[in-house]
Amino acid sequence: MSAPPKAHATHGAAAAATGHDSEHPHHIASAALFLRVLIALLILTGITVGSSRIDFGGANMLISMVIACIKASLVIAIFMHVWWDTAINKIFFLGSFLFLSLLFTFTLADYATRGRDEQMHRIKAPVDKQWVHLPVTGKQEH
Amino acid sequence: MSNDHDSHAVVLPAPGPEFLPHTVAHHFDTSEQEFQAAKLGFWLFLATEILLFGGLFAAYFYFHENYPETFKRGGAQLNWILGALNTTVLLISSWTMAMGVRSAQTSQKRKMLLYLGLTALGAVTFLVVKFFEYKAKYDHGLMPGRFFTDEHGLMGDVPFAPQFFSIYFTATGLHGLHVLVGLCLILWIIKGGARGRFHANYYLPVDLVGLYWHLVDLIWIFLFPLLYLVP
Repeated sequence: MSAPPKAHATHGAAAAATGHDSEHPHHIASAALFLRVLIALLILTGITVGSSRIDFGGANMLISMVIACIKASLVIAIFMHVWWDTAINKIFFLGSFLFLSLLFTFTLADYATRGRDEQMHRIKAPVDKQWVHLPVTGKQEH
Repeated sequence: MSNDHDSHAVVLPAPGPEFLPHTVAHHFDTSEQEFQAAKLGFWLFLATEILLFGGLFAAYFYFHENYPETFKRGGAQLNWILGALNTTVLLISSWTMAMGVRSAQTSQKRKMLLYLGLTALGAVTFLVVKFFEYKAKYDHGLMPGRFFTDEHGLMGDVPFAPQFFSIYFTATGLHGLHVLVGLCLILWIIKGGARGRFHANYYLPVDLVGLYWHLVDLIWIFLFPLLYLVP
């Protein structure tokens, strides 16, 4: 993504942040920029579909998620005007992704430290017995 | 003092005869304050939406890592061409919505109504395509949880096959509900816009509905590759 065209920086963001300009305090993006973003989004969708047909092994997930993140960034920055929005609005919205990363981090940490697939079929409590300080009755074995 | 009860309300003039003036709600001092307060509240709401869908994405990644073959096979049952079509429809409708907001900002009433109408059309198209996709899954018994019958044995004997369809229907169902809500909001904006409520001096509702619609697009950007093109 190239830097937004020159006119944008001066017009809206600064005035809106200080609240001085009462006539046109908000940024208006150019129609040409919106069209370019749409074309980029459609091309990236094509790349997503194309790359899914090629087997990159474990990298397929990474590739499709990186492309999705680029597309999401374009939508957020340009279509949702976050690029020109006030600092507080940026913090509120982009902050949600910080909390999202907490959710993902702890979920994946849980996944990484639990018993593997084949054990999970057999035991009811997927916790390694050595960490359970209760008398093991063997009840959970069929 | 500005909060004196005798002080008359702030009225934003209509920029032309086809528009209506906007009276700023009495508890705001300026239109800018009204605009920023509503906007901040809406961003906070959108943040909760991100976290709502985030839970579903976390569930997806967890089960995908545990049973990759189930997800590969499940994803292969979905029609990726219809999925790609819906992706394109949503991306274009997101663009028409951005242009609709822009037309409101520049007081171009007819252009705004045209773009918003196209956006509503995109929402309807998405829902119609989704309906036929759901119907195909229903016909094959590829339903979530205990409703899973898989009459044609499409899923073979992969473990926890109903789990994929539980995630598929929950994620796309919740997303589809958002499309439906978005459609109603867009129609509401068109109604007000036709009366001339929105123009350069006051376009807040158009802006907020636009943000909502872009969020719907944003979530689909992730759902499409994860469900239809299971990596």
